[in-house]
Order: sequence, then structure tokens, then C-alpha cells
Amino acid sequence: MGAQIGELTFLEVLASRFKIPAPDFVVEPVRQSDVKRKLADWGSGIVKPDVLAGKRGKAGTVRQVDDYHEAVKLLKRVAAKVVSGQQPRTAYMVQTVPADLEVFSAITYNSRYLAPSLTVSTKGGVDIESVDEADKVTVPLNVFRGLNAYQASEALVKAGLPEGKLNSKLALCLVKQWDMFSATGMQSCEINPWRVTEAGAVCACDFKATFDENNIKFRDLGFELPEYPTMVDAFEEEMNAWAASSHQGQAHVADLGGKLILPMLFGGGASTIVIETLAQAGGDPMFLSDFGGNPPYERMKKTAEICLRHKLADASLLLILGGKANNTQIDITFAAIADALQEWVDDNGPHPIPVVIGRGGPGLVQGFAVMKKTLENLGMPYVFFGPDTPITLVASYAARLAKQCAKANGGAK
Amino acid sequence: MIARSLSGLLKKGDRVAVSNITGREASKVSTISQQYCGNVVAGWALGKSGKWVEVPGETSIPVFGQFDEMLTQLPENRWPTKIIVYSPPDAVYGDVKEALENNRGSVRTVFVITENVSIEVTSKLRRLADTEGVDILGCNTLGVINVHDKVRVGAVGGDSPNETFRKGSACVISNSGNMVNTVASYLQSAGLGVSYGISTGKDVNILTPLKDLLALAMRDKRTSMIVLYVEPGGVYEAEAIEAIKGRRSPKPILVYVAGEFAESIDVSLGHAGAVVDGAGTSASGKKALFDDYFGVPVFDFYERRKAPKLLAEHRRGIRVNALHDLVPAATALMSALKIKRDFAPLRPLALRPWFVELGPLAKVLPRDLVPYVAPIPEPYAKLVKHYVTSSIGRVPSRQPMRGVSHASSNDGATPRIYGRSLIGLMKTGSFADTVLLYWLGQPVKHTFEARLFDMCLMAALTNGPGTISAQGAKLSASAGNGPNTAMMATLGSIGTVHGGNGSKAARVLINVFRDTDLVDPYDRAAAPDLDALVLTFVKAFKQRKKLAKEAGVAYEKVPCLGHPVFNTEAINYDPRERVIDAVMGEEKLYNVFLDFYHRLSRGMMEQCATSKVHAVNVDAALTCVLMGIAWPLLVDKKITVERAVDLPFLAFALGRVAGGAGEYLDHRDSGTAMDMRVPVSECRFLGRDQD
Repeated sequence: MGAQIGELTFLEVLASRFKIPAPDFVVEPVRQSDVKRKLADWGSGIVKPDVLAGKRGKAGTVRQVDDYHEAVKLLKRVAAKVVSGQQPRTAYMVQTVPADLEVFSAITYNSRYLAPSLTVSTKGGVDIESVDEADKVTVPLNVFRGLNAYQASEALVKAGLPEGKLNSKLALCLVKQWDMFSATGMQSCEINPWRVTEAGAVCACDFKATFDENNIKFRDLGFELPEYPTMVDAFEEEMNAWAASSHQGQAHVADLGGKLILPMLFGGGASTIVIETLAQAGGDPMFLSDFGGNPPYERMKKTAEICLRHKLADASLLLILGGKANNTQIDITFAAIADALQEWVDDNGPHPIPVVIGRGGPGLVQGFAVMKKTLENLGMPYVFFGPDTPITLVASYAARLAKQCAKANGGAK
Repeated sequence: MIARSLSGLLKKGDRVAVSNITGREASKVSTISQQYCGNVVAGWALGKSGKWVEVPGETSIPVFGQFDEMLTQLPENRWPTKIIVYSPPDAVYGDVKEALENNRGSVRTVFVITENVSIEVTSKLRRLADTEGVDILGCNTLGVINVHDKVRVGAVGGDSPNETFRKGSACVISNSGNMVNTVASYLQSAGLGVSYGISTGKDVNILTPLKDLLALAMRDKRTSMIVLYVEPGGVYEAEAIEAIKGRRSPKPILVYVAGEFAESIDVSLGHAGAVVDGAGTSASGKKALFDDYFGVPVFDFYERRKAPKLLAEHRRGIRVNALHDLVPAATALMSALKIKRDFAPLRPLALRPWFVELGPLAKVLPRDLVPYVAPIPEPYAKLVKHYVTSSIGRVPSRQPMRGVSHASSNDGATPRIYGRSLIGLMKTGSFADTVLLYWLGQPVKHTFEARLFDMCLMAALTNGPGTISAQGAKLSASAGNGPNTAMMATLGSIGTVHGGNGSKAARVLINVFRDTDLVDPYDRAAAPDLDALVLTFVKAFKQRKKLAKEAGVAYEKVPCLGHPVFNTEAINYDPRERVIDAVMGEEKLYNVFLDFYHRLSRGMMEQCATSKVHAVNVDAALTCVLMGIAWPLLVDKKITVERAVDLPFLAFALGRVAGGAGEYLDHRDSGTAMDMRVPVSECRFLGRDQD
């Protein structure tokens, strides 16, 4: 999942940059006198948390207010309230925009067309997944030419908004949405809803977007992305930063909250299958990992060092598992893991939990030789499997072994 | 899609060109591909024009600066029909565009191996390929293998494609490159080989979607079954099933869908495109889709006997819940649809551990968790014997070492040797201590070792001005060179027979002692039976000598026994060795290697291999001292055998180069210009005048 932003960043930066009509707003902390003045101008406002959660997630925290005392209290309360397990960055209040029509629009890359596509619906304002497919219109876009007003207008007509002044105005707004999507390297961008009055006023009233971090335009946005408080632990945070620091070799992890097995896995497919097998067999893996992609020694050693530092002390079993590698040099990766393991034991003392290894690929036996010697030096029990044992069988075995070790009252630990 | 058949993607005779071919991964993979099938005709990489990618035993691959230059330089019958893109992510679009715009109608398929290409670029690549009329696979594909034609593009099959891929009738199409191999190796246990192995890549945009590949596989005559590895994300499977639903007799499909576990928790999987993005794109959604198409429930191993009947009825295939169930499911499918096996099934899938050491844990575990070691298959068994069960020496792991070092570092403030501050070493250590740290990667265990090493360096300083290494320094000084050149001349004048003999001795000692239980070379009580070792060694030496003499060829002498100067007595000694031995005696130190050498010199005469007791020379003493230091590290696999073998030569060279400096200083101060020249009157011509 790429970097995400919500409505507040859109209001603060993108709306004005791409000339997309959007409501006025204030952001907590804000002076009472400012709130009072704004509400006097607007009539009423809507208080929202700045949090990366969908409409359903935010439900209950989004409130309409017209009294400034109430608004000030609400801004503080909403800013502090956890929403769908996430702590908001802050809270903000937007002007209430009256609407006779609410339109949904999303621009995203579409696996059916292998191209960007525009989806519109005149049943906006609600969670779009709850809208009937027949009420949504999706049209593919030429990635080179982008979206033009004619195309946008046609899509709106198909969605039930007849040609006319309103249609034209909204179509131009959709073109601006495309401009923003394209210029900033977004992967998906949703405005839900565009609030439209019969008089022809159009306003983008909620927004979310995901950037494609591989897009060169994302690297030079011209503004700093907001930093949302995350619930990820120190391990995942450190690994995410380490993974982002280089493209040489994968260093992907996702915390699973497990307690038994510390899995160092190689290959996107293999890691998925192994974690699935561990989970099915009760192996309770601590995290999902993919350390394939032929990492150089230093990269692999630091990756292993971070994993061991955060997780090894609590693990009942260390699992090092991957399929038959095409590119990854097993001798390099195993030498790096072995050295990291040696250093961990040097710093923390012996930790004789079992180590289960399964691997194939270039330099396999040399890698096994290094790892075997290190585990013997460290007094760690081990079982090694070559490429003639299926990884799923190794994973099932590791799960059973870990459970048994944990059952023996931490005997293995 | 332009290709009308799977062979349109890749067949024998296709010519492959590789972008960014001089990169780390591209050059390695291209080399292996060239050895496997020889289909790489060229590569291009900006600024690398004129270079070659060397391929041992095969035609090397020429490198051009640009694609257009490549086509201009190559004859038309060598123009590539396929290109593989290994360019960095930000260069992928430009490189593919350049290639397709200058294509001259040659290239039919583009394989983009590069990872982390932006979705916008992949969309542009798709349009570009459509416009130019070529097929494109990727991004992040691992490539394709056509097993019957024995050709591949990309890295499918790793460094030994023959091991994983046997000719057969299953077409493997996988979202994961690694799983192409893994699935192919599993299928061997069902007696199924592979027709084509195809890695689709698993970015958000899969540029050749499953529906297109499935259509080709359905038409392929060599393919009788299609095996899919599928991950969440995208509508590719839904489209594919929609496309084949109407077929009268579609080929059976065996499918494994991964990633359902991630649905209940908010985690991202390894592949960029494995992200649920709408109804039916989740793993559970895709499972339901396939189950519905097949008309049979997921394969149940415990009910496997019932499967063939159901499969015969519906004839469309089956899904498995565990990857290793592919084997019994494929067997059931073949039985139901009367598909012939490609070969006798290899041994069934099972846990086959290569090394097991569970220690005390083994006693408390249930028996099924303490597996027996299984026979290791070839070619691994040979390698295991060489690398793992070999008693001594670290197995080196290799990597590009440009700009990196285990031996030294400098953080801008403190230079370090193997992580230890040079400043600290200067305060507390000695030169000998520090050199040994630099050479061995860790400090010596015993303080006497540095003292003995110091003596070795001193012993290596000189053996008089007549030695050829001293002559080297003197010749250089005589010619008017500076000190560094004179020291190089000293080093240039030593070699395997002057100074380097110690390395041969080290190898001899390692070969003699490697199969003993020797751990501590300073423990006399724990020394192996040296007389027995000497006897075995001398007998083998005599046998080699006899055979060499019979064949009329020179025989390899025992290194470091004898000396051109100290050889006039019945029992001879090298005085420098005696000093080292005497100091060890005074300190009550024992060195098993030196003891062996003394016994060897006597044993050689006693066994009539020589006519006198040759001197254990200073090179031997030096070797024995260094082997004493290195042996525990060899046993502990902390250093390589090669490093231990190099140590005596390095020690000699270090001592002797200092000695050479002394000769240089003396000669420069006192010699006359060109005084080392041999007068013409003393030179003789051994040939016959021709004019």
C-alpha cells in the first residue's frame, strides 16, 4: 500500500494547487474567535478527525455543528478520539455545503483495462461499495492523453446526469481531478461526494488518495506528506524505514502479532504460502516477511539484525525458509544471517531455540555450511531441509515443533 | 496479443537482447542463460559500448551503448526477436521506448524483469506495446522457459534450469517467479514435466493477463494440463474464467490460490499487486471463482480416492488448499482424464532433512518431530561432502567487494581493523599483534604467539646479500630507483621456490592433520600419533617418487626440508629454525607441527627416502608457528584454508621486504651507479651467431 492522504491535505494543499472547488475550513488548534467568525459566515460546519479511515470507520466522529462553543469542544474531543484503531493527526471543521445532488468520482489504475479509469456515480455521499454496480459507470482512460472534458461529460451522462451547464461544470472538475492524479503520481484518488447545488455550485466535500511510491512524480511533490500517528510497533517502523532506504533486495515485513515463530522468508510467493501454512497449522508467526530479491551481504545482515533485535528473545523457533531461488545467492544471505545471529548471541547471551531452515538456489551448500557451523557454535538445535522438501511441509513441521517447544513450558526457550 | 501460440512467446531460434546487461543481476543471469541455451545475442547499456559479458565455455555477449547502435552493428540475422529489460525502474520506460521505436520489425516480445516500476509507467508500456505491435510480459516477471526447446528468457530455473524442468505436458503459469520453479519441482513427484513455465509478474498491472496466456495454453499441443499459482489482487482470473467458460473441452486446470490469511488482518503481502482492490479480487473471492468454474469442491487429501470420479464428470480441473497437494491432485486429475504421465514419478513429497541436530531437545520431543536425516541428492551430496563435512576451514561467501571490507573501516574519525580501533591498538598492542589481527580477523589467543611471529619476521629479514630477494633490492638501487621501487624489486624477486615454499608446507600440514582430531596444536598430550602420520606420509612420498622416476618426470619434493647452505652434515639444521625451537623450549611451549617436521626429517632418512637428515628450514619453522596460530581458527571454521595457506608466504614477504629496504639503504649510500651490472666479459652466449 502506497502513501495515503486524506481530505485535510487536499484542502490545505492540493485543492488550491489544482483549482478544485472545495469548502472553507479551519484546523485544530484554532482560536475560539476564528471558529466563531467562520460559523457566523458559514451558518454551520462539520467537524471531522484527520485520520486515514473510510466513511464507515469515521462514522460517529463526524458531527455537524452551528454553535461555536460546541464546535471548539468537539474539535478537541474528536482530535483525541481513536477512530478504527487509529489516532487522528488532528481535527478540522469544514463549511457545510448544501447539496441537491451528490456525485462520486474515482480515478484509479484498473486491472481490467491495464490503464487508468474513471468511475462516477450520482449516488455519492455514501460508502461506494454499498452502491449498486448498475449505478456506477467506469470508463478507461488513455494514460498518455488523460481525461478530457468530453469524456468526463459522457461518463456523467451515462451515470444519469444529463448534458447541460451542471454536467459541464462537473466535467471540468473531473478533468482537474485527473490533472491532480496525474501530476502527483497517484495510484488512486476518490472524491466522495462532489456536492452540487441546483444553482450550479460544485464543491469537493470528501477526499482520499493513495500515491504510487514508485512514481518519480511522488518523490517531488513540493510538499511534505502529513505524518499520521501509527499503531505499528517499533519493529515494523524500523523495518519499513529500512525497506524504503534501498531497492536492493526486499526487506518487507508486516506484523502479525504472533508469539511463536520468527520467520525469515524469501520470495513474495513463498512468504505468502509459508505464512498461510504456519497460520493454518497453529505456528503463530510473529510477522510476514519477504527478504528475497538477492540482497547484498550488508543489506541482509542489517535486515536480520533488526528482526533478531526486536523478536528473537520472545520467539520459540527461528524459521529461515524460501523456495528454490533463481537469483538470490544463498551463501551471501546465510552468511549475513549467521553473522547477525552470532552478534545477537554475543550481545545477549545464549538462546538455544530450534532453528528450522529450508532453502534451494545458488550457493546453497556453502550457505548451509556457514549456517550449520554458526548454529553449532551457538548451541542452537537445528533441522535443515534442501529443495527436495516442499516448503509447505517444512512450514507445517516448524509449526508443530514450535508449538511443542512452547508447550514444554518454554523449555526450548 | 500478437503471439498465436506459447512458442510465439519463446522458442528455439529466438534471439535475445538484454538491457542494462552489465548490471549485477543481468550479467549473471545472461551468463547462465547463455550456458543453458546460448540464445543471448547481445546487450545494451549506456556508456558500456565495446564491453563484453564473458561467458565461460560459451560465446561471450557483446555490449552496445544503445539499442539502435546494437541493430546497426549486428548483422540482420543476429537482430534480437526478444528483449529482456533489466534497466533501473526510472529508466524502464525510456529503454523500452527506445528499443521499440528503433525496432526495425525485429522484436516480437518484451520481458520486463525490473521490480518497482510505477503503475503509470506500466500502463504506458502496455499502450506502447499495443501501438508497436509487440507482446510485453511483466513488469517484475522472472521470464519464461520453453522446456521442450530448452530455451529460456530471464532467470526461470535459477542457475540450474535442467534440475527443475523436465520435458512434459504441464504449463505452469505463476504470479510468483519462484513458484514457477517450486511448482515444477513438485510436479515431478506426480510424473509430470513442464511444457512452458511462465512468470507473469505480480505488479498491479500484469501486462499480459491470464486470459491471454490461458488462451495460448489451451491451444498448445504439448500442454495437457495447466497449473496456476494465483495471488490476490486484480480481475485477471475472473476475466480468464469468463473467457474459457464457453469452451467445449477446455484443458484441465490445477490451481493454488494463496493469501486468504491476510483478509482478516490488515497486512500487505510481498508482491506489489497482491492487494485486494474490489469484489472478487480477494483470495477467497478467487477461490470461489475457480471452485464454481470447476464444479467440484477443493481437493481433499483424505478423500483423494473419490476425486477421480468427480473430476471425470466435470473435466475442468480442481483447486488445492496446500501447495504440496498439487501432487496427489495432479495424479487424480491425470487418472480421471486419462492423461499420460510424462515419466515415472520421482520420489513422493516428504520431509527429507539434510542435517538434524536437536540436542537435548530430541529427548523430550515426540518421535515424529525428530526426523531422520535423509540421503542428500546429487549434485548436492558431493558439495556437502566438500563444504560441510570437510573437517576444517570456513566456507567463503562471495560478493562484490568494491569499496567494502571486513578487514578495515574508517568512520571519519577512527580507523579500525576488524572493528577494533587502530588508536587503541597503537596504545596497547604491538606491530606483530596488529598484523596478526589484520590477517586473521581476530586477536591471537596467546601472548606468546605474537612473540613467535615477531621472531619469524626477524628470521625472514635476510639470509645475506646473495639471496635473490636482496639482489632485487640492490639491483634496483644500482639502477637509481627510489625506496618503494627497491622494495617492490625485493617482493618481485621472491616466489614459490624462494619464500613461497612455506605455503606449500602449510598445505602439506593441513592435508596431514585435517582428518585427525587435533584441536589445540600446543597441547603435547592431545597430539595425534605423529610417528604414524610420518610413516604414512613418507610411504606415500616414496610411492610418488618411484612413479615419477619411472615416468621420467620430476617429483614434488617435501617442502621446507633442506637448505642450499645448511646441508653439509649427516644431520642438518637451519640455525634460524633452531633459535625459534630453542625459545619455545625455554618457554616450555610445544608445537605439534614443528614436532611433526622434526620427526619427518628423521623419518625420511630412516625410511630411506633420503640419504641424510635434511634441515627443517626457516620456512618450515615460520609455517609451523603460523599454522599453530591458525589451526584452532581453521577447526572453528573462522578462517578459510586458503587464508591459512597464504600466511607463511605473507610473513616471509613482510620480513623480507624490510630486509630488502635495508639492502637498498646500504646500496644507495655506498654503491656506485650501475655497479650491479655484469661486465660483458663475464657474459656468455649459448646460441650460434646467425649473421
